[in-house]
Amino acid sequence: MAVKALHAVSQGRNGVGAFILQCKKIDLHYCDWAGSSRGMNGFIKSLLPKFAAAHPQIEFTVSPRPTKHPVAIGHYINGRSKPICVRNMEPYEILKKLELLRDASGEKLKKVTKPVRSINQSVRGIWSPYHGNGMSL
Amino acid sequence: MMKRLRIERAAGQLLVARPCGPSTPGAALRSSYKCTTSQVPVRHSSSSSAAEAEHTPLYEEDGTDHARFPPLEKLPPNTSALPSPLPSRALESAKLSALHARLSLSPKIPLQTLARTLVDASADPNPYFNNSSLAFLGATIINYHASEWFMVHYPRLPMEVLEAAMTGLAGPTPLDRIAKAWGIEPAAAPGGEVDPGLLQFSLDQPGETVRGFGYTRTVVDKINKNNWQRSVAARVIYEDNLPALPSTTKAKQTTPAVAEQEEQQQEEQQQDDSEVDYAETSPAAPKFSPTSYGSSTTRELSEKAHANFVRAVVGAVFAHCGREAAKSFVKAHVLSRQLDLERLFAFKHPTLELAMLCAREEFDPPVARLLSETGRLSRTPVFVVGVYSGNEKLGEGAGATLEQARLKAAMHALKAWYLYSPGEGVKVPSDVLGQEEEEAAAAGGKKKGGWEPVYIDIGELISR
Repeated sequence: MAVKALHAVSQGRNGVGAFILQCKKIDLHYCDWAGSSRGMNGFIKSLLPKFAAAHPQIEFTVSPRPTKHPVAIGHYINGRSKPICVRNMEPYEILKKLELLRDASGEKLKKVTKPVRSINQSVRGIWSPYHGNGMSL
Repeated sequence: MMKRLRIERAAGQLLVARPCGPSTPGAALRSSYKCTTSQVPVRHSSSSSAAEAEHTPLYEEDGTDHARFPPLEKLPPNTSALPSPLPSRALESAKLSALHARLSLSPKIPLQTLARTLVDASADPNPYFNNSSLAFLGATIINYHASEWFMVHYPRLPMEVLEAAMTGLAGPTPLDRIAKAWGIEPAAAPGGEVDPGLLQFSLDQPGETVRGFGYTRTVVDKINKNNWQRSVAARVIYEDNLPALPSTTKAKQTTPAVAEQEEQQQEEQQQDDSEVDYAETSPAAPKFSPTSYGSSTTRELSEKAHANFVRAVVGAVFAHCGREAAKSFVKAHVLSRQLDLERLFAFKHPTLELAMLCAREEFDPPVARLLSETGRLSRTPVFVVGVYSGNEKLGEGAGATLEQARLKAAMHALKAWYLYSPGEGVKVPSDVLGQEEEEAAAAGGKKKGGWEPVYIDIGELISR
């Protein structure tokens, strides 16, 4: 007779309460020999220490990949990854790419037609056809 | 649901650094194990051990250039014989320090403690190296803050619904989702050689897993066997206060449900679907995790390990940073999640219950009145019914039949009663916890400071 309960699980909303950066790891691959890695090698030597120190929440790995183009791969909390080939790029161009990886959510890119999505209840309530004065015909 | 916090007792042992001695069964087991294999490095759960900087020669004998190809991490001999990584290796783990920064933890929390929160009891049964004590501490703190929040913000929630709300907000399932939203990766198998930044739990030997927290009565088996009645309060006080969510097949009501109840379940399913959809587009839980496949038992073990990790992190925040920091951490990560309480109600006889409520509150008996209707003889009729007590409208519902509309109106009226809230900015008891002594001291012991409740409900309408 008393009220029974159904079960539901709370939904998380990143940024409400705490914000978790979605990029958790960035892999940097370079080649010592190939010319396409020149910018990447310069980036690793000059800009990466500062960038990595500014983003302690991202794990950085640097590893050689001989005779291949340099790549930066971002790994995300949702399990996806985002590889960007940075061949023949200047160090500052690579920095831009890393900032892109950092800011990405890891989701597939899709066109956003409705910029605001929310799971909050509508403040105005749902429109009801059974209320108000109705339409006069 | 508000259990008393006995945190000093639970936190004390964490702050005392001690080598593993044979004081507990697990430790005794470990020490006997050490006697047989003398080469196993001795572990100390000290959180201040510094990493030994090893000098590596620039060139190996075989001509490998170490500047270009750094050598692999040198582990102490026989590390893989240990059940969990050595605490000293926590300082070298990039994953661990990234997790520390991702959660914006205070620098007061050492990496060794964070590494310990990632070791489940099923991976390492030694209580000085696994997270069970921290998880117990964290569970009490999370449950306390969640229950005080619900009690102050929704003072009229019935016990069953309150329990469902607690399970939905602070139970194992939501905590598991929180851990996954933090980007926790499980190790393929626990061991001394794995990266300390990975969550370690064993699916092979779940016998050592902590089944739940709290004291279990010896009569529980008998109660379950004979199907005796017991109240939610008794279960919360005497047994595990937050059981895991029942599986979806169990949650489905088999009794002839009222119209809205069915509708609620459909909505619930839709919500689940939409949650999956939401997870795809939002930074919620990952779509595929290494443990998402497997049997229901392994999934349950994984969920338990992830939940215990989150609890242990809260316990670590409390132990190293104190009460206020732990409270704000729980608020930011657990209480900020959205849970629609309206969806948790399942009424069996809403009209009868509303009549009893009106009788108790000395309102006029509820009367259902037809407010408007359309298409009575058509295929899709709609009736709008309002429930009135005297001249006051208590609730209103629209349905395809008069009966359905009446029941919906009664349910809306009951929900409006049960979900009464004094407002958003109401103080909870822990808000004034520190002020109590200060105010009393400032007033010279004359003024009695402390928490004053905004509203206390006289109790549930129909109790069993």
